Amino acid sequence: MGGNLLTNYGEAVAMILFGIGCTNLLLQKNLIKKIIGMNIMDTAIYLFLAEKGYIAGRAAPIIVDGIQEAEHYINPIPSGLVLTGIVVSVSVTALMLSLTIRLYQRYHTLDLDEISVMIKKEGK
Amino acid sequence: MLDFVQNFPCFSIVSCMFAGIISSALKGKGAKILNLGVLLAVTVMSALTLGYVMDLGESYIYVMGTFSAPWGNELRVGVLEAAMALFFCVIMLLSLMGGQQKLQEEVEEGKQKLYYIMVDLLMSSLLALIYTNDMFTAYVFVEINTISACGLIMIRQWGRTIEAATRYMIMSLLGSGLLLMGLVFLYGLTGHLLMSNIHQGVVHIVEQGEYHIPLMVAIALMCTGLAIKSALFPFHSWLPDAYGYSTVASSAILSSLVSKGYIFLLIKIIYRVIGFDVIQQSKIINVLFVFGLAGMIMGSLSAIKESNIRRMIAFSSVAQIGYIYMGIGLGTEAGMTASVFHVLSHAVTKSMLFIAASGLLQASGDSTDFFDLTGAGFRNKTAGAAFTVGSLSMVGFPMFCGFTSKLLFARAAVDGSWKMLPALIVLAVSTLLNAIYFMKTVIRIYTPLREPAREKRFRKIGIGEQPMNFVALICFILLNVVLGLGAEPLVALLNNGLKMFA
Amino acid sequence: MDGWILIPIFLPVIAGAALLAFRRGTAGKNSDTGMEDGMSGKAQPESAGELKRLHLLVGAVLFVSALFALAAAWSGERQVTLFYLMADIPIYFRIDQVGALFVTFTSIVWVAVGVYSFVYMKHEGRERQFFGFYLLVYGVLVALDFSGNLVTLYMFYELMSLTSMPLVLHNRSREAVMAALKYLFYSMCGAYCGLFGIFFLYKYCDTLTFTAGGTLNLLLLGENGGLLLVAVFMMILGFGVKAGMLPMHAWLPTAHPVAPSPASAVLSGIIVKAGVLAVFRVIYYVVGPEFIRGTWVQTAWMSLALLTVFMGSLLAYREKVFKKRLAYSTVSQASYILFGLSLLSEAGVTGALLHSVFHAFIKSALFLTAGIFIFQCGKTRVEELRGIGKRMPKTLWCFTFAALALIGIPPASGFISKWYLAQGALEANVGVFGWLGPVVLLISALLTAGYLLPVTVRGFFPGSRAETSKEKAENELGAQAGQEDAEAVREHGGEPALGMLVPLAVMAALAVLLGLFPGALIEYAARIAAAVL
Repeated sequence: MGGNLLTNYGEAVAMILFGIGCTNLLLQKNLIKKIIGMNIMDTAIYLFLAEKGYIAGRAAPIIVDGIQEAEHYINPIPSGLVLTGIVVSVSVTALMLSLTIRLYQRYHTLDLDEISVMIKKEGK
Repeated sequence: MLDFVQNFPCFSIVSCMFAGIISSALKGKGAKILNLGVLLAVTVMSALTLGYVMDLGESYIYVMGTFSAPWGNELRVGVLEAAMALFFCVIMLLSLMGGQQKLQEEVEEGKQKLYYIMVDLLMSSLLALIYTNDMFTAYVFVEINTISACGLIMIRQWGRTIEAATRYMIMSLLGSGLLLMGLVFLYGLTGHLLMSNIHQGVVHIVEQGEYHIPLMVAIALMCTGLAIKSALFPFHSWLPDAYGYSTVASSAILSSLVSKGYIFLLIKIIYRVIGFDVIQQSKIINVLFVFGLAGMIMGSLSAIKESNIRRMIAFSSVAQIGYIYMGIGLGTEAGMTASVFHVLSHAVTKSMLFIAASGLLQASGDSTDFFDLTGAGFRNKTAGAAFTVGSLSMVGFPMFCGFTSKLLFARAAVDGSWKMLPALIVLAVSTLLNAIYFMKTVIRIYTPLREPAREKRFRKIGIGEQPMNFVALICFILLNVVLGLGAEPLVALLNNGLKMFA
Repeated sequence: MDGWILIPIFLPVIAGAALLAFRRGTAGKNSDTGMEDGMSGKAQPESAGELKRLHLLVGAVLFVSALFALAAAWSGERQVTLFYLMADIPIYFRIDQVGALFVTFTSIVWVAVGVYSFVYMKHEGRERQFFGFYLLVYGVLVALDFSGNLVTLYMFYELMSLTSMPLVLHNRSREAVMAALKYLFYSMCGAYCGLFGIFFLYKYCDTLTFTAGGTLNLLLLGENGGLLLVAVFMMILGFGVKAGMLPMHAWLPTAHPVAPSPASAVLSGIIVKAGVLAVFRVIYYVVGPEFIRGTWVQTAWMSLALLTVFMGSLLAYREKVFKKRLAYSTVSQASYILFGLSLLSEAGVTGALLHSVFHAFIKSALFLTAGIFIFQCGKTRVEELRGIGKRMPKTLWCFTFAALALIGIPPASGFISKWYLAQGALEANVGVFGWLGPVVLLISALLTAGYLLPVTVRGFFPGSRAETSKEKAENELGAQAGQEDAEAVREHGGEPALGMLVPLAVMAALAVLLGLFPGALIEYAARIAAAVL
């Protein structure tokens, strides 16, 4: 078990990062910190994916010097997935940030709990 | 030889998406007309597809692009998918129709265009979730679904909705993060992204007896992720605000379609990706069962305590989602059929309830006070009738579709092993709790108001004033009764669909 | 083709729905008056011509459907499948002997009370609404009596709860709303207990179609007998709610005082019997009496029924509001029937069926009397009825005959059914209940005499003058609080109009005459009992 962890340290780090991101997303009160947590979480998944696709000693799947055999390259699909995932997470981050700006303009705080209290006071 | 009809699923996804893109260049009115046109077209196409697949008797695979099986991207269309697509389109149309007037009142003129763009994108992502046979595509569309749903919530710009949207986004992002993680695990285990290929890989792994724990972790991650996104108790905290304060069309769409899209994906994962046998053997299904039961009770209890009628209906959604997960958790074919049927019946009923409730509130000066609803059923007769029908259906009154789904659930439950007794007891208790708050409301809206001073504040709403609303509610009532009385063909169809689903 | 047996179901339902919908229609057209009606809760005065047409329509529909119902009931076994709810669950009607019996007394009482309400409902107002629901409930009840399997029965049972609720809700006061809610909740709780049982039976029975003697499949049942017993007990409790069995009897005394008297009459005489019918169907036609014979279910059922018989009479004896007293009496009497059913013996079942019929007529007559007292002089409490016999002797005589029948004084009808019940208890081999049952029945009969006869006695012989003058003072106090239009009537409140007196007389006469010539009825009931056991 310990040996596995050591050889797959990339995955292990990814899992730890995922946990950190997840906790931040849920437990932080500050909206910006929540968004940072979310980004850490997403990035951890990409790291995990990239680590899955990486094969030690091989090159990125870009054909140079006319070498066409698959044995020379790493698996390109995870890299593709990571790219797609990054696009998704960027757009989601943008949306979250815009929401945060709206809330900040209205309530002049980034603390979500405080905002809730203020909304309750507003009534309606 | 490719029949022309086979292209329709792909066309519907793409046309919805392009409608969204084109709408951004149009004016509000144009976007609305385009949206209506596309939805109608998709409805027709889904109906034709359904007819085609029923004739065919099995599902077919539609290859997207030029790469074939293990690498390319594909759609898979069977009876269940086509039926769901058709149904979602109809509900979407009716919800928009019923919520239109309110939308015009509550959303600024310039933003209405954005609303229809969001609806287009949402429809496209829902259709994609229904049809796709590729896990990563599913993930991408889950995110699109989340973003457009968030747009629907916050289109009505006031503090509550923005806060609700933020909370919704936080929980949803957590959910999609978990889903993606689970997906990556599965990819790591099997090396595939297409559902059918993953399934072969999973079967192989299980036969070899290898990687038991990672497989379970992957299943657990995906189930949890989708459970969070579809607001299974205890992850429902975002739901009441999001459904309770957004504009009514959004509430109707969110409660009846968005959460159902995720549930459909979960069913797909259970059947097609992991395989029903593997799921049955894992303990995860029992966890879903237990949380479903808890949701049935806790959702209803929260609804009883709630005095804002729309939040009350939102909490009732938590209970109904619990029913669906309970059915899935039974781990039998019959339970699954009941769940799928309940997805439909809840969609019909809940969107009707939201629209009717909004009509009643309108006739009560948009007050959130429960007692201001007194006599609202007389002031807005269509909404009163629709709310009554919806409540009766929710309570499981015979003749309406809620009763049929309860019957199906109970029938599924008596087949189960140790799950029989808890399922039946909780079903009975939760029905009773439903009866408490829904009947309370129905009686309230039909209790005459005796204070002329207050009566002056409220206005009556005739049928002529809101013709679209009237038509939508009547359609909903009819749909409800049809599903309640003539459910047999539909149940047979769903059964058939589930068989060819795997 | 037996499709025509659907006529008595759908004709009143459609007519009733049309009446209700038409009200809405007019409200839409001249919305001011219509809304006034809805929102202020005040009765909208309907013009005399309109009322006449309404009465004519309702009367015709009621009469025609009752004729069809009787024709359907007494022309042999007929069946019709409406449609399939699920592949193996049809909505299915079949008329058998029990259904025919229930439909017959339901129809008679319904028509008679309908005639009575033409006069009475002037006092309550909103007649269109009342008669709309009155017709609806009739259709549903006929369907309930005709239903051929458990799911159909359940469906119409629920519909009956829902459609009869507006009858309780009629005057829309706060009390009425609370009473209606209570009624609805009790009914729904009960119905869900019943549904819970149906799910179990669905699994362990060959078919849910009613078959004399039961359809339980013991092979399928295997080890699960204990569980099924619980389910059966839940069903007895659940459907027993409608029949006012302890511990869920409390809706009756709440609902009756606020409901209009004709509504109370049918609620007590007929709708309570729907609960009885449901229990009867479940035990004798689906589960089978053999399954629960000698088990704890039978014992618990008998104990509950006897306890209800006793407690109901006792509560009625102590109650001072006349309609509430009658409501408690219904609680007690309905449990006579349930006790008869719980004995699982031929004489017991015969007695139970006879008592269902007799009680329907008797209790309707009693409530109609109570209605006349309210209509003519606005009196609701028992003390106020002192000396009433001087003013309306005919009414009080009818009341007296019905009361005697309910107590079970020999030639009257109640005696015969109670005789069979006692005989059933003695021959049923149920241990201590063999003697305890008849004793409780006897005590309860004494209590019945104790709470009904004083009304007659004081009505005809008011007693000393001092007391009456005191009563008068109280009456005047009450009159101020009472409705103004009743004031004028009260001064010379003599015998009621024929429209009210005749139905009352018919009910009372039936209660007595059926006791004098019971032969055919007993034979019929005994045939049913023999078939199911």
